[in-house]
Amino acid sequence: MTPSTQGSGRYDVIVIGAGHNGLAAAALLGKSGRKVLVVERRAIIGGVAAGEEFHPEYRTAGLLHDSSTLCVDMLSTLQLARHGLSLTKEPAAVFMPHLEGPGLLLSRDAGNAGQELGASSNGDAKAYAEYRTFLASIRNFVQRLLGAPPPDLYGDGFSSLMPLVRHGIAMRRLGRDTMMELMRIVPMPIEDYLNERFESDVLKAALAAPGIYGTFMGPRSPGGMGSLLRYECMAGAAVVGGPASLIAALESSAESHGVEIRTSAEVVGIRDDADVAVGVTLADGNEIDASVVVSSCDPKRTISWLRSTTEDTVLLKRQIQNFRTRGTTAKVNLALSGPLRFSCRPDLTIEHARIGETLDYLEHAFDAVKYRKFSESPILDICVPTVAAPDLAPAGHSVASILVHFAPHHLDPAWDNRSRDALGDTVVATLERYAPNIRKMIVGKEVLTPADIADRYGLSGGHIYQGEHGLDQLLIRPTPQCVRYETPIKGLFLGGSGSHPGGGITCAPGVLAAKTVIG
Amino acid sequence: MSKSYDAIIIGGGHNGLVCAAYLARAGRRVLVLERRHVLGGAAVTEELYPGFKFSVCSYVVSLFRPHIIRELSLPEHGLDMIPLECSFLPLPNGDSLCRWADAQDTRREIARFSAKDAEVAPEFSMAMTKLSYFARDIIESTAPDPASIDPREMIKLLRLGKRFKSLGADMMQLNMQLMTMSAVDFLDLWFESEVLKAPMSVSGIIGTFLGVRSPSTAYVLLHHYMGEIDGAFRSWGFCRGGTGALSLSVASAARNFGADIRTEMDVERILVEHGEARGVVLADGTEFRSKTVVSGLDPHRTFLRLVGESNLDPSFTTKIKRYKMRGSSGKVNLAVDRLPEFTCRPKGSAHLRGDIAIAPSIDYLERAYDQAKYGDFSERPYLNVVIPSLVDPSLAPPGKHIVSCFVQYAPYAIKEGPEFWPQRREAFGDAVVDTLAEYCPGLKESILFRQVLTPWDLEQDFGLTEGNIFHGELSPEQLLFQRPVSGWAKYRTPIRHLWMCASGTHPGGGIMGAPGELAAKTMLRTRSV
Repeated sequence: MTPSTQGSGRYDVIVIGAGHNGLAAAALLGKSGRKVLVVERRAIIGGVAAGEEFHPEYRTAGLLHDSSTLCVDMLSTLQLARHGLSLTKEPAAVFMPHLEGPGLLLSRDAGNAGQELGASSNGDAKAYAEYRTFLASIRNFVQRLLGAPPPDLYGDGFSSLMPLVRHGIAMRRLGRDTMMELMRIVPMPIEDYLNERFESDVLKAALAAPGIYGTFMGPRSPGGMGSLLRYECMAGAAVVGGPASLIAALESSAESHGVEIRTSAEVVGIRDDADVAVGVTLADGNEIDASVVVSSCDPKRTISWLRSTTEDTVLLKRQIQNFRTRGTTAKVNLALSGPLRFSCRPDLTIEHARIGETLDYLEHAFDAVKYRKFSESPILDICVPTVAAPDLAPAGHSVASILVHFAPHHLDPAWDNRSRDALGDTVVATLERYAPNIRKMIVGKEVLTPADIADRYGLSGGHIYQGEHGLDQLLIRPTPQCVRYETPIKGLFLGGSGSHPGGGITCAPGVLAAKTVIG
Repeated sequence: MSKSYDAIIIGGGHNGLVCAAYLARAGRRVLVLERRHVLGGAAVTEELYPGFKFSVCSYVVSLFRPHIIRELSLPEHGLDMIPLECSFLPLPNGDSLCRWADAQDTRREIARFSAKDAEVAPEFSMAMTKLSYFARDIIESTAPDPASIDPREMIKLLRLGKRFKSLGADMMQLNMQLMTMSAVDFLDLWFESEVLKAPMSVSGIIGTFLGVRSPSTAYVLLHHYMGEIDGAFRSWGFCRGGTGALSLSVASAARNFGADIRTEMDVERILVEHGEARGVVLADGTEFRSKTVVSGLDPHRTFLRLVGESNLDPSFTTKIKRYKMRGSSGKVNLAVDRLPEFTCRPKGSAHLRGDIAIAPSIDYLERAYDQAKYGDFSERPYLNVVIPSLVDPSLAPPGKHIVSCFVQYAPYAIKEGPEFWPQRREAFGDAVVDTLAEYCPGLKESILFRQVLTPWDLEQDFGLTEGNIFHGELSPEQLLFQRPVSGWAKYRTPIRHLWMCASGTHPGGGIMGAPGELAAKTMLRTRSV
């Protein structure tokens, strides 16, 4: 290796992006004895998991607020607990407020949920318990699929399909009925499947929504069950303090392994020499050398940095254009002068709530983006991080972190201040129907359209998962050449949400990429 | 009735007849019982109005397996196919796109909208052809069963895996994309012009209750792309004498092999004794006994009506009940006193000698779907129109024509309830005629006769449950080893000696003949008949 011209020391690995995946990869690589530099474009670390002040004295716990999909077992060697990470005893129950009726507080624990469900439908209480039992029966198998690099499509010969065969054997071990059921339901629309099991539309809507986040799908779109099962089999306990606390623990762990993190360091190019990565170029002109570059940025952006013109790279550049990154999510952060309360159950402390009480509501919300409009009645996925972390806001005040589905990146006409305001108004008006005094409580408001998300976080199409969770893009992510974190450029690895097993606060792509580098 | 048969086939649709012909050819004594007065099921020609012969339901043929035509010598029994010459897309702005049988002509037409698309069109065709060949292997044999521990099945799976692997990474990816992507997303991989993508994408939604942007519709695209006549992939055709002529040629072949085929025989139930099928009972009480019974009806009708839940294991009944029918299309047949004239191409009629698509944009198609999703028929639907009398003058009096309009979406379960379809039938017919008349202004005045078939009518008149033209949706969870339900995808049923042979089994719907053929061959191979 040639010494760096900048005298900044020599690095074995450069990790691009200090999001949860980048930091997880960096920490593992640091632990393996490599000298690691993380370069982050923004002035703060954390990416979509970064906690930020959005209004004086009010902070969020991340653009994404659901930390329950963290693959905590895959991070065990980092001993994050020593670095301050703690997990909740159980995932927060989701409250579904209703315009009429008492709403539904849905816990993942069937026993707890049973009482709530029994109030409206005894059949559903039983069906819900059965559904949870079914999910438990496939959980290990699905986690096995998600927790390992996918089979190699470009490998030579039949033997490269061995991982697939091994998965097949593991699937057979589920038993014939479970295996057949799994194969049957993965390509199904969420609505059809939930209709088979449940009666109450409220319950169905409550269960369906996470399956369509980060997709270009509604509950009636085939393949939604694949995305939903992925979510259900990953989701477990959440991080106390939300994604921002995870970032703090990862940062601390990484630094303990000698990882250097440099913020306000924007990558503008990946240097390659005859299809071998030799380092990166920063926006300030600095060139940093390393024989390994792990990018946790989205694959489209990463590949656009390549200069090589070899056949493989040209093919890759073409293939990556077909990776769908149509952002459909917006974000609204509200600074509130008091706790969020819903009129249908005023005494309930709200930590996690969702608006979207029927499957048709969800489907209508999706319809809008097909016509390049944002939904007039959007699905609101609401997290109140101040319940668990009151210090995010002044005493007695609270923060509502709201992910808004669906709002298209390619709005027609394009996003501007007026349409951003209109989106913010739509969200508040939607919320107001269920929480009538919310408007009076709003001290501050931040609205991020998908275009804003694209700009701030450097995500192509403003896609919160770096790429849609369509079934095809969950199976092959992001392109056949790059499914196993390696790229045609020797020494360049992909390790962000745009790689298997996809987006959300999981850290799995970062861990798997790091493991690939370590070998 | 004392005469005993080896096999009784319920339903004289094209699959029932194909199955009958193959069984009779192997020397089995076969009886076919058809409820209606005409043979053909949904592949039927009827003179609904004096001098006008309509392909009442199915109106073009593409998927019918060429080897069936050969093995049953159908041309000798009157089968004559006329290839479609053009696929014509009129546009609201007065422009239009013609995709001709000749590739160069088509290229020139596409280039008017996008030079890039014209350039990649052959590349797309090539990829689809490769995919078709892979898919053809699958549709030409019984479905592999991934749960089976039978070594033969495992070898079959491995062989399939090996073949899959030999496609190369790009084609493997394409195959997976095909099975999971939406038709529009799939076409986006190649094309930019909506004028091309919109009419191409509709192949992905025909007969499904999905939109062109719904994932998994790309597969149906291929299903329709595979059509072949005389061994040539991708050619669609009319049947001289209407689609019913195809059924009649198969019936003639079957009779020639000794099959007994009777019409106006309404089978009310299947005789099940000690868990075995022993024959059938007609509505008038007549009984026919046989060694085996083969149902050419859809799975719902077969099991829930003719067999009856009391004869079935409850878990099987549950699976059959959740098998999705959900018809989404209708049909409007018109007799007109002159050739329709499209404003955008007033001269000549060459562009009308194929199919005509009313599919002006992807948003238009999605809006049509969105309306149906919430329980209405599309006010501005997707139409696939043919004027078969232009190429086959025997179908209408001189100078006059028949206009056949396939319509989507017409959901079976309209929000008032399916039984309210008769009250909305004419409004639906008006929506179709109004839509078409926007492109050919003189149409309304030229109509002599109009037949409107809603999904309700398809169910009542043709016995298609919920009006589904494919005997069940062609969605991934209802294909291959899962059609109609996993464990029973090889034409056998849980009732001994009862078999299935129609579109509700692998490889699915369309005038393909494959289910009937594969069922017969499976029965013969396993010496079950």
